[in-house]
Amino acid sequence: MKTYPPGTVRALLDSDMVTPQTREALRARLSADESYDEPSFLDVDLFLTLRAACARLIPQPESAKPIDCASAIDKRLANGEGDGWRYDALPADGETFRRGLRGLDEAARAKFSFSFHQLDDARQDELLLAVQRGDVKGGVWETLSANLFFEELLAAATEIYYSHPLAQELIGYAGMADAHGWQAIGLDQLEAWEPRASEDTSD
Amino acid sequence: MIERHQPLPEGAASEINEPRTGQAPDLHGRPLPMRQYSVSETVDAVVVGTGAGGAPLLARLAAAGLRVVALEAGKHWSPARDFVTDEVAQSKLFWNDERLSAGGDPLAFGRNNSGTGVGGSTLHYTAYTPRVQPDDLRLHTEFGVGVNWPLSYEDLEPYYDELERFLGVSGPTPYPWGPARNSAYPLAPLPLNGAAQLMQRGCNTLGIRTSPAANAALSGLYYQEGVGWRAACSNRGFCQAGCTTGAKASMDVTYVPLAVHYGAEVRAESFVTRFERDSSGCITEVIYMREGREERQRCHRVFLCAGAIETPRLLLLNDLANSSGQVGKNFMAHTGIQVWGRFEEDVRPYKGIPGALISEDTHRPPDADFAGGYLLQSIGVMPVTYAAQVARGRGLWGTELREHMRGYNHTAGINILGDCLPYEHSYLELSDEPDARGLPKPRIHFTNGENEQRLNAHAEKLMREIWATAGAHDIWAFPRNAHIIGTCRMGTNSDTAVVNNEGRTFDVPNLYISDNSTFPSALSCNPALTIMALSLRTADCFLERARRMEN
Ligand SMILES: Cc1cc2nc3c(=O)[nH]c(=O)nc-3n(C[C@H](O)[C@H](O)[C@H](O)COP(=O)(O)OP(=O)(O)OC[C@H]3O[C@@H](n4cnc5c(N)ncnc54)[C@H](O)[C@@H]3O)c2cc1C
Ligand code: SF4
Repeated sequence: MKTYPPGTVRALLDSDMVTPQTREALRARLSADESYDEPSFLDVDLFLTLRAACARLIPQPESAKPIDCASAIDKRLANGEGDGWRYDALPADGETFRRGLRGLDEAARAKFSFSFHQLDDARQDELLLAVQRGDVKGGVWETLSANLFFEELLAAATEIYYSHPLAQELIGYAGMADAHGWQAIGLDQLEAWEPRASEDTSD
Repeated sequence: MIERHQPLPEGAASEINEPRTGQAPDLHGRPLPMRQYSVSETVDAVVVGTGAGGAPLLARLAAAGLRVVALEAGKHWSPARDFVTDEVAQSKLFWNDERLSAGGDPLAFGRNNSGTGVGGSTLHYTAYTPRVQPDDLRLHTEFGVGVNWPLSYEDLEPYYDELERFLGVSGPTPYPWGPARNSAYPLAPLPLNGAAQLMQRGCNTLGIRTSPAANAALSGLYYQEGVGWRAACSNRGFCQAGCTTGAKASMDVTYVPLAVHYGAEVRAESFVTRFERDSSGCITEVIYMREGREERQRCHRVFLCAGAIETPRLLLLNDLANSSGQVGKNFMAHTGIQVWGRFEEDVRPYKGIPGALISEDTHRPPDADFAGGYLLQSIGVMPVTYAAQVARGRGLWGTELREHMRGYNHTAGINILGDCLPYEHSYLELSDEPDARGLPKPRIHFTNGENEQRLNAHAEKLMREIWATAGAHDIWAFPRNAHIIGTCRMGTNSDTAVVNNEGRTFDVPNLYISDNSTFPSALSCNPALTIMALSLRTADCFLERARRMEN
């Protein structure tokens, strides 16, 4: 498995390889501490469910301070930010998340007698997989498509995570360092400032 | 035969010297002097929307000395100043008002196909600019399905020649497919990136011809009328989130400044909602929202160029030009399945023009069990877009998703751009759910028919073979449809079409449509160059008619 050295994106941001505008946008995202415990759209119980679900969808065991996708989703819902479309089969985004998260928690209580966020990783994964496959019945799921809700939840968490400079660093992305353009663009051609991968022997 | 380069009518040249009280920002944020018209004066034409369909005719009408105002819902950006190399920051280029996606294959909008801002969707197009092949315009004759176009390749060809020259298209000469060209592409092709080299490798082994693609992005410094020198492409690979160098021929750095040069006014952040009409049914005023207030612009005629969703939506909202009942019908989206593979080599899919290599050997595959055909294209991809596709298309999450994404730098894609037939079951309607402006959200029903399914299956098999041959592992397919097409069909008959082959609506004598909505069939090539060709043609036909009526 390939791993990329830490610190590359911060170093690029400090260099003239990045345009001032790009630097400003990415630094703001790096330094923004978006985490909060007081959600502004969801109620606290649903927020706990969302946070637990995001931790399984995008696990970040290597990070002492994981990128907080749940807070970003809550904020997006509070601001009513859309991306130009939604499945006609789903209600408005806010309603979809409220109902879907409630359904996830109800499934947890029905099957394991605990709230979703209190379950261990394996049980949370089992429930998430059931929702992804549409293998949940009754209650909320009578009026909400489980697999479409799952797709929306997963897409939201994934987009938030991979737009973070530190997540991009982990996959060796250096596209932001384009202030001087790229000359070495062919196969196996790298510019001096592009991060090199090393083979991770730990797995 | 209509003159391609309309001479300026008497007086036009002096009008260029009219006082310029307004300003339009250029690439770097410097103000270009711009004419301004008052809302109380009756201008010759209002153009709604400044994308591929709106901007070329805006420039053509202004160059002919007409007083024209463009109303554009989006902002007027200065790419070098305002654009950032970051996908999320650039979501400002997308049409983010919510649309409802229904049908068997509900479509993603926003980032997937719809832009806003002066320049429209060309702000984020990849600038891939193949010409149509003549037989695509005669699909019904050839296969007995779909419809024929009410015009031929010969009608488009002079405009293709002109556009490629003006925009500075970089492409190979000779071009291996389609009719012989009258002249060479003005610039040599752009260099191949990793994905293109891999596709070339796979295709070579399988005996599939490839060629560097034609892209409306400059492979060298280029001088452009009304604009000046434009810089060469620096291989940023970020075309889909906006080009900061002006190398990509989006409308905001080509036809829009040309139009402003000739005296057009571009009024940004002006969202058109309604039209006032007189007793004869002609439009007299265009009503729009600007800075929270309603304004009206008096005009002699309207060119509606708001794209294949907003154009029919505006017509349906205003109960306009729909005696045929065809407004919103025949919605199409190109078959566009993508196949991704993982390679030993470093690909770095963020570098180089994303669509560097093409093959049109699949234009009419001999073993096809479907009508029409497709082209093959190598693709680069930005990380958030790719991750979202892996999530939605493959359903990967947790450790599996993160492991997969660690291979991002070794990922390369091929996709197709194939025909899509019009069907009764694919259409646009107004829903009863209001948006933030209080207007009904559009609902778009879309389902691939058997023809599209067969075409996709044929293409998926072939692309998997190409990738396997090129050395890929972990090959996977992302089913997808691209571009928004149809909904205001062009035709010869007012019972079955909304506009004639000049883009004029059958019902409203002073209303024209110029955008992707008028395409009677999808065509097996990317749409932008053909939309622009039709835009120039519509302007020329109109000017020719106006001149004849004067004499
Ligand atoms: C990611 C991506 C890549 C693409 N790549 C390619 C490619 O490589 N090659 C290619 O040929 N095509 C490509 N396309 C497609 C191409 O960009 C479009 O087909 C083309 O721009 C459509 O032109 P249009 O004039 O129909 O609409 P648009 O270009 O979308 O213009 C419509 C304009 O109208 C404005 N508008 C809408 N409603 C209103 C209103 N009510 N009032 C005022 N203004 C309004 C909008 O803001 C917009 O600016 C791509 C598209 C996307 C999304
Ligand atoms: S690859 Fe070229 S055309 Fe595309 S955004 Fe970059 S500089 Fe512009």
